[in-house]
Amino acid sequence: MQILLNGIIQGLLLALVGLGFALVYNATGIFHVAQGVIYAGAPFILLACIQSGLGWPVGVFISLMFAASISCLYEVGNHWPLQKKEASKEIHLIASLGAYIALVQLIAIIWGNETRVLRSGVDTTFSFSGIILTHSQLLGGAIALVVFAAFLFWLWRTDIGLRLRALADNPIQLSLMGYDIRLLRLAVFGLSGLLTAVAAFLMALDIGFDPHSGLQMILLAMVATIIGGRGSFLGPILGAILLGILRSQIGWFTSARWEEAVTFFLLVLFLFFRPQGIFGRAGRLEAQT
Amino acid sequence: MNYLLHLLIYLDIYLIVAMSLNLLIGYGGLLQVAHAAYYGIGAYAAALIMLKLGWGFLPAIGLAMVVAGILSLAVSIPAWRFRGDYFVMVSLAVQSVAYSLLYNWIDLTNGPFGLTGIPRPSIFGYKFDSMRTIALFSSIITGICILGMVLILRSPWGRLLKAMRDDELAARSLGKNTRLVKLQTFMIASALAAVAGSLYAAYVSYIDPTSFTLDESILMLSMVIVGGTGNIRGPLVGAFILIAIPEALRFVQIPDAVAANVRLMVYGLLLIIMAHFRPQGLAGTYRIQ
Repeated sequence: MQILLNGIIQGLLLALVGLGFALVYNATGIFHVAQGVIYAGAPFILLACIQSGLGWPVGVFISLMFAASISCLYEVGNHWPLQKKEASKEIHLIASLGAYIALVQLIAIIWGNETRVLRSGVDTTFSFSGIILTHSQLLGGAIALVVFAAFLFWLWRTDIGLRLRALADNPIQLSLMGYDIRLLRLAVFGLSGLLTAVAAFLMALDIGFDPHSGLQMILLAMVATIIGGRGSFLGPILGAILLGILRSQIGWFTSARWEEAVTFFLLVLFLFFRPQGIFGRAGRLEAQT
Repeated sequence: MNYLLHLLIYLDIYLIVAMSLNLLIGYGGLLQVAHAAYYGIGAYAAALIMLKLGWGFLPAIGLAMVVAGILSLAVSIPAWRFRGDYFVMVSLAVQSVAYSLLYNWIDLTNGPFGLTGIPRPSIFGYKFDSMRTIALFSSIITGICILGMVLILRSPWGRLLKAMRDDELAARSLGKNTRLVKLQTFMIASALAAVAGSLYAAYVSYIDPTSFTLDESILMLSMVIVGGTGNIRGPLVGAFILIAIPEALRFVQIPDAVAANVRLMVYGLLLIIMAHFRPQGLAGTYRIQ
């Protein structure tokens, strides 16, 4: 039960990143590897704000804004120009990978390669009926649930949410209807940056952070998106929770060293037997790629 | 002088790697990020054969090529079904699983401690143990590989490969067995990567899994993308540039602590610039799509 709960919370945090990835992926078809920079960089900004005496609320606000603007910058500087040239998905992926490598190294040059922590001392714990949770785990799980509720409400009940789903469905048709795709894509990137930064804070609070943790997280988010189903927004959330549970069970019952191998083995199984994911709609492979 | 010879040996190794990866990307049209895995499998296979079985260097290279060629089925069979970003993900999964195996299969690979005391190459009783002779030896092997590649690509088989890249359905409708061609392409490319890996193992005489990570795959990918895809000279130019950049950076006054970061940052920026302005690479002819 303890391990299950740990896994669920780990999965919830992963789901925030996964949702950020799936947002961009569903709306634009871009493999947003550079999202890893936001995951790795946001806690550094927050730490810098706190160290300069701005306090938590202001620090969180500033670093969230920073994350969103970096994310929008990718779209303005990198992906939209490529999109105008009608570049292929592979070119987008290469450009995104390049942005990830360059910016992560920039972070490492500014702040160093060491692992940092946001809080000092040992985390306080809560225990009820034999289950022990740390303060940060509890906070992380709760905030993730609130963010999901807000996001899904926004997606399913507001006008912009409807437009977003239309963008994911058929961008050309949407622009023919007279909607500004460019602005909508920008919003998607910004939102993805926000979600990633929130996950990064919560994770940093729990286990600390270093400049190179981003790619690993994005790969997991990607696996979660594929397992959950491309084109769906609920899929990545459930996929990530599933992945979190699975990884914590493997970590407990065999060894943490096998987590990666099992994760990617699962990805291959899904790609072969259910490439559309749990929630995805089946389609011809040619049509999807 | 030894420094230049050391660079020459590295250049030889990466020339083979870049050329074999170009066979997949530039001629097969398959963007793959598992090449470091096959490079590593080659290095480990050759090292283990020499250490445990006591075979000479040439038979060890031969057997390492066979091992890598057989294991290439792990990416080539998925390539029957998946193209584009699906395939990128499959190869990513293969890379992660292979790394995890090299790291965790301690009985065979000695895990994170790596293999030590790998003998220097020797042929017919002549031992290549000075820098000068090893450089000569690796240059000869590289020359043979380049020659072989030119011959392969000029053959009818090479033309069939290009036809498959440009239009797979059309090639199949002409009665060509594209699945078999894909299998063969991956086998040749992986076997060549294994040659480079064996050279690396024999030269540095110590290998551990950290030389065969995803980062290494990305470096190999950068070589091909920066240099150029779809012809012989492209990857050669790319390998030369990416080996030369860190050496050129040595002459700029950069503190040692950030030298590695600056180097990777330059790689990342190069990838972005290439994606935007020259998708076929500096000396390439084929635009990735």
